[in-house]
Amino acid sequence: MLRLITARLQQLVFVLFLLSAFTFLLMKLAPGDPVLTLLKIDQIAATQAEEAALRSQLGFDRPIHEQYASWIWGVLHLDLGDSYLAKRPVLEMLLERVPGTFQLALGGIAVMMAIAVPLGLLAAKYPGRLPDHLSRLLALIGSSVPSFWMGLLLIYAFSYKLNWLPTMGTGSFRHMILPSLTLGLAIAAVYARLLRAGLLDSLSQEYIRAARARGIAEWRVLTLHALRAALLPVVTVFGMSVGHLLAGTVVVEILFSWPGLGSLAVEAIFARDYPVIQGYVLLIGVFVVAVNLLVDLSYGWLDPRIRYEKGEAA
Amino acid sequence: MNTWHSIRQSPMTALGIALLTLLVFLTLFGPWIVPNDPLTVQMSERLQPPSWQYPFGTDHLGRCLFSRLVEGAQITLGLAAVVIVTVAVIGIPVGLLSGYVGGRLDTILMRIVDGAGALPEFVVAISVAGFLGPNLTNLLLSIVAIKWMGYARVVRSIVLSEREKEYVLAARVAGGSAWTVMRRHLIPQILSPVFVLAALDIGKIIMLIAMFSFLGLGAQPPTPEWGAMLNDGRPYFQTVPELMIYPGMAILLVVISCNLIADGLRDRLDVRSR
Amino acid sequence: MRPIVEVEALCVQALAKRGKDRIPLIQDVSFQIHPGEMLALVGESGSGKSVTAGAVLGLLPNALHIGSGSLRFQGEDVLAWTEKKRRGLLGSQIGCVFQDYQGSFTPFRKIGKQLTEMIRTHHSLSKATAKDLALEWLDQVALPAERVYDSYPFQLSGGQRQRTALAAAMMLRPALVVADEPTTALDVLTGERVLDLLAELQMQVGCAVLLISHDLRHVMKRADTVAVMKDGRIVECEATEMIRRRASHPYTQTLLHARPLLTDLDAGLDWENEEVVSSERHEGVDGVESLADREPAV
Repeated sequence: MLRLITARLQQLVFVLFLLSAFTFLLMKLAPGDPVLTLLKIDQIAATQAEEAALRSQLGFDRPIHEQYASWIWGVLHLDLGDSYLAKRPVLEMLLERVPGTFQLALGGIAVMMAIAVPLGLLAAKYPGRLPDHLSRLLALIGSSVPSFWMGLLLIYAFSYKLNWLPTMGTGSFRHMILPSLTLGLAIAAVYARLLRAGLLDSLSQEYIRAARARGIAEWRVLTLHALRAALLPVVTVFGMSVGHLLAGTVVVEILFSWPGLGSLAVEAIFARDYPVIQGYVLLIGVFVVAVNLLVDLSYGWLDPRIRYEKGEAA
Repeated sequence: MNTWHSIRQSPMTALGIALLTLLVFLTLFGPWIVPNDPLTVQMSERLQPPSWQYPFGTDHLGRCLFSRLVEGAQITLGLAAVVIVTVAVIGIPVGLLSGYVGGRLDTILMRIVDGAGALPEFVVAISVAGFLGPNLTNLLLSIVAIKWMGYARVVRSIVLSEREKEYVLAARVAGGSAWTVMRRHLIPQILSPVFVLAALDIGKIIMLIAMFSFLGLGAQPPTPEWGAMLNDGRPYFQTVPELMIYPGMAILLVVISCNLIADGLRDRLDVRSR
Repeated sequence: MRPIVEVEALCVQALAKRGKDRIPLIQDVSFQIHPGEMLALVGESGSGKSVTAGAVLGLLPNALHIGSGSLRFQGEDVLAWTEKKRRGLLGSQIGCVFQDYQGSFTPFRKIGKQLTEMIRTHHSLSKATAKDLALEWLDQVALPAERVYDSYPFQLSGGQRQRTALAAAMMLRPALVVADEPTTALDVLTGERVLDLLAELQMQVGCAVLLISHDLRHVMKRADTVAVMKDGRIVECEATEMIRRRASHPYTQTLLHARPLLTDLDAGLDWENEEVVSSERHEGVDGVESLADREPAV
């Protein structure tokens, strides 16, 4: 278990290094001169001297590896630089937006679980029958439907035609419903299929027969005895596709004018606000690795055999 | 007779193939069957309802929606095909080389693949769009930059397991050159998994391109790419929902047919996973 | 005295995957078990003994079904039971021990949790009382009760797990315990001890036992009655003493003289038998059971 965690932490360092080098390189490759861009934003007719001053203030006159070193030094001290546009520390801007995206992701996961778990249980309980076929069909549609389109359809149906739910804004539970549905619906069916496969596998195990022979109620057999093992593949895939979920939040934030990291990033891209983009990419990298660390930890919880790797005599 | 049998065996795969054939047909012959030019702006004809002249009506700039959708099929399928071929052309040789040669080269290549492969493709695409500019070329480049690694990894693992098998050893001992061994013995082995992977990926790539175009970070107007069309139609979707319904439906149909075919291929080719 | 179990002319068939073919697995099986009696059902792999046990428990896989015959438990028609009623009696009135100790408990949950879960399924007892009962029974089967209670199944040895399974089967004082080759997966000595324990607990609880085994001579020491199965039929069913003295069926004779047994020898180890045990473990699945394994994938 400890080995797994150290490996993850090493990976975190490696991924962050890779991402930082990658974004730094891209920034240098970017067309246009950030100094000129900055001056243009300020709308002042800059003199040559002013331009040179700003250039050296930003360190752009030094060799590239020195620039990288000083930038990474800043990153390590949680200084991601200032936004070109807002003239505020990038970290501060990002942190403001974290709760929004977090809330959205949790909402999406809640919708996903609320659909995937019952559907997966039913499909595994009655393989080859109606719930099974239904989940298969939904999984096919779910993995093929563009989330941005489904979001628009939901808005059209529930906000415009039926006038039940708000299309934008935050704050109340009602505001959460459509964005969470958009995010969660599409992935739900895929997880239901995964859960079904895992459950069919664990339901065929001897220990399930033993539990049934002890008279344990069927719902307890399904949820307490069979579900645990079936969750392992689900959790693994969740860790692998967390990038997918984050991409989904970007779309949903744009669709519903939701104040989160994704909408901030897209705005920054249009405004060529490089430090913000860079900060966003780094933060996502940290997030992806952190989720995978949680996934690793959950293995130990789901399967105690992993926790007791070198445990007592078998 | 044989065809009929396969359709009965897997009707869903057959449906996928039929859909995709139709789309490929539209792609190839689209320019001759569309009633209007997809790019001509006619403000006098804007937001028209469906008619004989405009089967699906017109958009906010008076362009024929149907013609744009057909043109979009060409763009979507064309781009996906280009990406997948490029990815295979890079990934397969790298995987072959890495697995066959082994040693230092293998270690370095796989280090890169494992490290960079941990990045979600969407993060890479966002950074490329952010720094190098939001356009279609950059989007395609970033997809290729991430996707080839999956192919290299799969090919490498097959080569590693096949390399030690007796028939390959025999071929090597018999004095076959590395190239001959690869061509005769290894490449046939890797084709099926690569096909399955590619079929699965095509749907994902189409979706990613459409998503980025929808966000305004991929295909730019006036290109009739379906995601971009959705974005264009967004301000009008309450009054003219067709503007968003049709392009979304088109994406859904393409991706569904790709996924159906991928499922069928996997069942047929990959006996091990069953 | 009314028998606990009455099986009469029981036939179980396997439904073939396609078409309406039905493959008979057991045919015309009849026997009775009286209170306090231990009946050993003996036969080689594929003879249908596990299917018989499955039918008695009502835990046949979906692909198998009872064609004809009757099954009575304490005078009641088992085949007419609802699923709910069957679940209620399983565990409380009918206890089970299975062949594979790996699968006797769910690997992710602690033994104690699984024992108290079982107790509280059948009796409305407080958690503390249920725990006391579980601990008492773990003690009965000569295990370090507290430690086993707090262990995951994989932390116990095979013998310890089968002992725990025995405790679970006997704990609620059932009228019948079905033991389906409880010692096959264990080494010979451990297996012997588990069988001794089974006999001892049977005395204490006073239940009837249906013991399934592939080894006639192994069970003769303990069983009151022996039923020999071959190719899905019971070829001979007699009191153990009668079998020992003059087995009438030639197949029983073969089984009797098949091999020397550990209990016949004074020495502690019998390599020949051990080999038989381990080979049995490899192919030890009845043809029927492998069919059952495949079933959910269909």
